[in-house]
Amino acid sequence: MSLQKPMMRGLLAKRLRFHLPIAFGLSFLAAIAFKYTVTEPRKQAYADFYKQYDAVKEFNAMREAGVFESVRPSGE
Amino acid sequence: SPVMEELLHLHDHALMVVFLISTLVLYIMLAMISTKLTNKFILDSQEIEIIWTVLPAVILILIALPSLRILYLMDEINDPHLTIKAVGHQWYWSYEYTDYEDLGFDTYMIPTQDLAPGQFRLLEADHRMVVPVESPLRVLVTAEDVLHSWAVPALGVKMDAVPGRLNQTAFITFRPGIFYGQCSEICGAN
Repeated sequence: MSLQKPMMRGLLAKRLRFHLPIAFGLSFLAAIAFKYTVTEPRKQAYADFYKQYDAVKEFNAMREAGVFESVRPSGE
Repeated sequence: SPVMEELLHLHDHALMVVFLISTLVLYIMLAMISTKLTNKFILDSQEIEIIWTVLPAVILILIALPSLRILYLMDEINDPHLTIKAVGHQWYWSYEYTDYEDLGFDTYMIPTQDLAPGQFRLLEADHRMVVPVESPLRVLVTAEDVLHSWAVPALGVKMDAVPGRLNQTAFITFRPGIFYGQCSEICGAN
């Protein structure tokens, strides 16, 4: 009974064919994950903030808090 | 300001590309150090050279397009409602509002020992530059003595103040508040 001849050639190429698609796939996945966990939520957060934003109300709140120098709170 | 928000989104986009490349390189490094299989006799390979030329070029284009969009967005001057001149001195700024009446004043940084509780060190000034909100504004920046730079990070504005030169920048803000900046060019002994 003779042993099967072991594979002696193309070992690196086989490894590359296995690992390179995984490498590109993982990196693409990392980019997509970052996009949908950070980039898109941030854009949405900014959009949501400005939907309900009232600049005059914010200004009056800051004015009453005494933060501005050019306008004093309405009581003063 | 809207420009600063666009810059933040561009940063997110560029960071996404950074993560893409870093993950790829990290995986390849780990794969390379965890094997004894190496090709000692490789001479050339046109295919891989094409890939590692075209792929970075594509990535650069993906970064450049939003970046150029914002660059041209920042350069737009849309009929400012007010023009303010900011003149840098060692070591204070002077502002001139000359559109309607002549108004000019100097503004010094409040020294640390004179700060009131709650005020920010190295950021507070005695006379703040007051601007209207929701109005496009133009700032003409120059200097009296050495190079300075007028910068307000929250508004995405920075412009060098060069003696003998008038630099123009524009911004608009939709949120009232106090925005801080520091001179962004070395202009003194420390």
